[in-house]
Amino acid sequence: MHTRLTGTLPDQATLISMAQDIKNGDGIDAAYTAMENESFYAVTVKNLAAPWTNRDQDVFVPFNDYTATIIGIVRDNSDFREILYGNILYTGATSLGLPAYSTNSNLHYESFENSAASYKNDLVQQTQSSFSGLPASASAGVLTSRAAAKAFFIDGTNRAMFRFTLLNHLCRDLEQVHDITRTPDRIRQDISRSPGGDSRVFQNNCIGCHSGMDPMAQAFAYYDFSYDSDNDPEANNGRIDYNQGNQIDPETGTRVKAKYHINSANFPYGYITPNDQWNNYWRQGPNLYLGWSSSLAGAGSGAQSLGQELAHSRAFSECQATKVFENICLRRPEDATDRAKIQTMSNNFAASGYQLKSVFAESAVYCAGI
Amino acid sequence: MKPILTRSFTALLLVASSVLISACSGGSGSATETNPDTTINDGSTLYTGPAPASEDVQRFKLNIWDNLSANNRCGSCHNATGQSPRFVRTDDINLAYSAVSGLVNLSSPGSSRLVTKVAGGHNCWLDSASACAEIITTYIENWASASGSLINTITLTAPIIRNVGDSKSFPATSTSFASTVYPLLSANCSGCHSEDAGSPIQPYFASSNIDQAYESAKSKINLDSPKDSRFSLRLGSEFHNCWGNCSDNATAMTAAITAFSDSIPITQVDPDLVISKALRLTDGIVASSGGRIENNVIALYEFKTGNGSTAYDTSGVNPAINLNLSGNVSWIGSWGLQFNGGKAQGPTASSKKLFDTLTTTGEYSIEAWVAPANVTQEGPARIVTYSGGNNTRNFTLGQSQYNYDFLNRSSKADANGMPALSTEDDEERLQASLQHVLVTYSQVTGRKIYVNGEDTGALNSSGTSSISEWDDSFALAVGAEVSNNNSWMGSVRLLAIHSRALTASDAFANFDAGVGEKFFLLFNVEEHTGMNQSYVLFEVEQYDNYSFLFSQPTFISLDPNARPGSIHLEGMRIGINGREAPIGQAFANLNVNITDSLYSSSFGQRLSNLGTLITLEKGAEGDEFFLSFDQLSSSSYNRVEAVPPAPATPSDLDPQPRIGLHRFAQINASLSTLTGISTSNSAVRSTYQNVRQQLPSDANIDGFLAAHQMGVTQLAVSYCNALVNDASASTYFSGVDFGQPANTELDDIAEQNEVINPLLDRLLANTISFPAVLGGNAVLASQPDPNDSRLELQSLINIMLARCAGSCTSTDTKNIVLATCAAATGSAVMMIH
Repeated sequence: MHTRLTGTLPDQATLISMAQDIKNGDGIDAAYTAMENESFYAVTVKNLAAPWTNRDQDVFVPFNDYTATIIGIVRDNSDFREILYGNILYTGATSLGLPAYSTNSNLHYESFENSAASYKNDLVQQTQSSFSGLPASASAGVLTSRAAAKAFFIDGTNRAMFRFTLLNHLCRDLEQVHDITRTPDRIRQDISRSPGGDSRVFQNNCIGCHSGMDPMAQAFAYYDFSYDSDNDPEANNGRIDYNQGNQIDPETGTRVKAKYHINSANFPYGYITPNDQWNNYWRQGPNLYLGWSSSLAGAGSGAQSLGQELAHSRAFSECQATKVFENICLRRPEDATDRAKIQTMSNNFAASGYQLKSVFAESAVYCAGI
Repeated sequence: MKPILTRSFTALLLVASSVLISACSGGSGSATETNPDTTINDGSTLYTGPAPASEDVQRFKLNIWDNLSANNRCGSCHNATGQSPRFVRTDDINLAYSAVSGLVNLSSPGSSRLVTKVAGGHNCWLDSASACAEIITTYIENWASASGSLINTITLTAPIIRNVGDSKSFPATSTSFASTVYPLLSANCSGCHSEDAGSPIQPYFASSNIDQAYESAKSKINLDSPKDSRFSLRLGSEFHNCWGNCSDNATAMTAAITAFSDSIPITQVDPDLVISKALRLTDGIVASSGGRIENNVIALYEFKTGNGSTAYDTSGVNPAINLNLSGNVSWIGSWGLQFNGGKAQGPTASSKKLFDTLTTTGEYSIEAWVAPANVTQEGPARIVTYSGGNNTRNFTLGQSQYNYDFLNRSSKADANGMPALSTEDDEERLQASLQHVLVTYSQVTGRKIYVNGEDTGALNSSGTSSISEWDDSFALAVGAEVSNNNSWMGSVRLLAIHSRALTASDAFANFDAGVGEKFFLLFNVEEHTGMNQSYVLFEVEQYDNYSFLFSQPTFISLDPNARPGSIHLEGMRIGINGREAPIGQAFANLNVNITDSLYSSSFGQRLSNLGTLITLEKGAEGDEFFLSFDQLSSSSYNRVEAVPPAPATPSDLDPQPRIGLHRFAQINASLSTLTGISTSNSAVRSTYQNVRQQLPSDANIDGFLAAHQMGVTQLAVSYCNALVNDASASTYFSGVDFGQPANTELDDIAEQNEVINPLLDRLLANTISFPAVLGGNAVLASQPDPNDSRLELQSLINIMLARCAGSCTSTDTKNIVLATCAAATGSAVMMIH
């Protein structure tokens, strides 16, 4: 249980303490004892989150604000759903003497990683908007972290932010939410309706993702990641860029970033994004089984409310339970017993106030066969 | 000049009970433009009769008479002594002008008797009557444009009233589907299109849950025409993962769908729907793609023929460079050619028209509506080329991935037209989508590339150049090099070669005019609105071989005095062949009020600026459309979307290993814990950075490689080296005196255990002193037998002692401890969870 949770062997005293808990029928307590180990944060949670922060899903990426925020929220037993909409950020403690957090550099976090700082003790919760320069209402957890912006708001059309959030936090790629029967009225002009002169491709493939994705990705219409492509092609010194209330993009004439109007001649009769109003068309059709919250409207403005829509879905809870299960049990849920356990863990995740450590503990106990 | 109908109506003129849609004649049809030389080289007639009595007679002569009076055109019959009407008589141009008056409709050149007669098959001088008709239309348009007679109006008139036809609808239950189509899907498609596939791919029409499969399969089945079902086409035409012979598979699928369809009775359209009257595309009013700048076109291809092996040059400028189709080239229903490796090439003799004209003007433009099939082809892949081989050309428009390339032989370029002018890589101007591309050259301004009416900024005009060195023996080809190499995949919907460098405004005008044949469809909704002659007007065109484009719905009445009052319109859907189209309902969320203040009797009221594709089913002439509404005025339909069946339970996976590997960071942390050396130690950090991507990144124990073990060993050695050289070593290995030579310090089992036991203790692979309540001393069942581990490590120590036998030093002691430490901590005892 200890090695699964932390990647390291316990010392004998910890082993005996955990054995006593288990002897007393309290495997969960034993798991929580293991999670006191620094490696639970420095190794397990850190490497669970690292692939979420980049398009290649590479685990060998430098420590960054996305990963730090995940670690911090797990450590503090905060509502894990806030990773997608909270005005929250974790930075290294001032006492470490690290270079200060910067909106155009990851140096703060790389210095943290290269120091002897503790991932368990030296991360401090902050208000994201006071560091990022974004308004509080535009701060949406890791979605508006610098690392996520560098990975998913860079160039392109911002659909990447939606796709990777879906992939990383609802455990579904677009192939799994494909539904060609939704209304395609929000598909932007840049999507060719006849790729290569063959509209069957659009009617049977493209439309299945874009009809649901485009109206939700509209939430990111005011965001961009700006960098000097000539002198900094890797965008290491880029920064998240957000059009606030009085900032009008010269190309769109609204707060909407120009990237939302690119390639408009591909289909002039497509949707022209006027604002960051998003709608969840997947509340109907086969994707209603993603389990959207009945207490939310399924529509809103901006990234924060979209993050809440996604995080408050049943699919989000089940996804976290599944990811933790696979991380700890070293295998996919394979039979009815495992699948039932995922459901139980998802329920208990909710009952705990969405503390991810509860899911880790349950997974460890389950896979230890206790 | 053709009449203009742009996407935004610019004026509407009302005449009696009809509505005219009009636009100004635009572009460069100004008086200073010269007419192209369209005289016929062979059989031409020299006019020696009385002078034209008026300017309009002169315009008639220039545009019509000069082109048609030759004895290999109309002049062979309709001359001064021949068959009436004698509109190309050579004795008196004024009498010829009188004769043509009833044959020409200057306000609507395409409907002129001169055109319709030839289009009907009357003595066309080409193999294609439509090509002759198109050429004569061009002549009349030129006359009309020059005379200012072209009023560019389109009259909206009430269409015929059709009721929505009958069709088949999907039954409520999946019973029939389960016994007909589903067995094929389940047997052959469930490897992907099922939730429990290894990599599940939507739609799940082969789901183990039949209801789920049925819902997903509906949009892939055409009950009225089973062979046109997506399932059949995917196998028969697209060869998508056939399980045997694709043709046989498609036949089997069609048979299964036919059996399913045969089990369903024909039903009326859902009587509860609020629907408009029905229309076919051909019931619509043709909205020609007017407004194009074509004053100096010398070769024009609109691909209207639709079949055969020739694409006609309908510019009317002789000699026509008719293109011969060869290889894999097919016609597109919406006018165009699809190139899949083949080409269309003109003869060198007629291609010389380009040389003759363009070297005279010293400037030219190549204009095309193209849809590249992909953004990976390069070479450049030849879209249009006037060349003699792979390395010799006069000009070429080509594609290199996301870029258009323009090669032009000139005094500033070589015989291959190099260096090419290309659009910027970063801008990715070329997309695999229908695009308007225009390249221009002039001796003064050099080359330019316009895409979708916009100047791309690509320009090379470092001083004047000349194209006088062009070669007149080359041929014009489309879709590949004349040698058949460098073929281009994609479709061409229009190609024009102009003898002038078009301007930026010309480029935009020709882009804005669009391409292909468009219709106005007036869907009658009077019975619901109560407003006299009220319609929802759609602009409709066949988008490609597979879809129609419906765009910009507008509410309008043909009665200029009718007012809407206040009409609420909500949830509009497009129906095809008796049922609502399952895909592409872009107006389903429409929610508008049509009011007197927003409605104009001239323009109507635009309902949406969007457009959408509706999948073609029976063909442009067979498909019948209608509109349905959730609410239109007081008529409403209570639409309730059926709750889809719950996802099927995934099937069980094969049993997976219950053990796994430590991954890279876990190995690093474990070695740190086992040795007590911090991960931030500079030596081990350096080693870790070097080997971490060599270490396992996945816990799958089946994926363990020798390279992984090498990386683990290097890192373990690094940690153990740091340990034995650290002050903590004397505490860690408290029974070892590192100052003694190995042969005295480690030569018996008890001494060797002073090295081994601290390691096994930390690996929890030794006897552990549990409290009595937990059972007292014990060995963890998950760890190896300590005696076995100990024997292995003792064996290692003895081997190393033997190597230094007779000359062992204290350095050997340190090395043996280091090696034992690395062997223990880097072993499977640590590696396996």
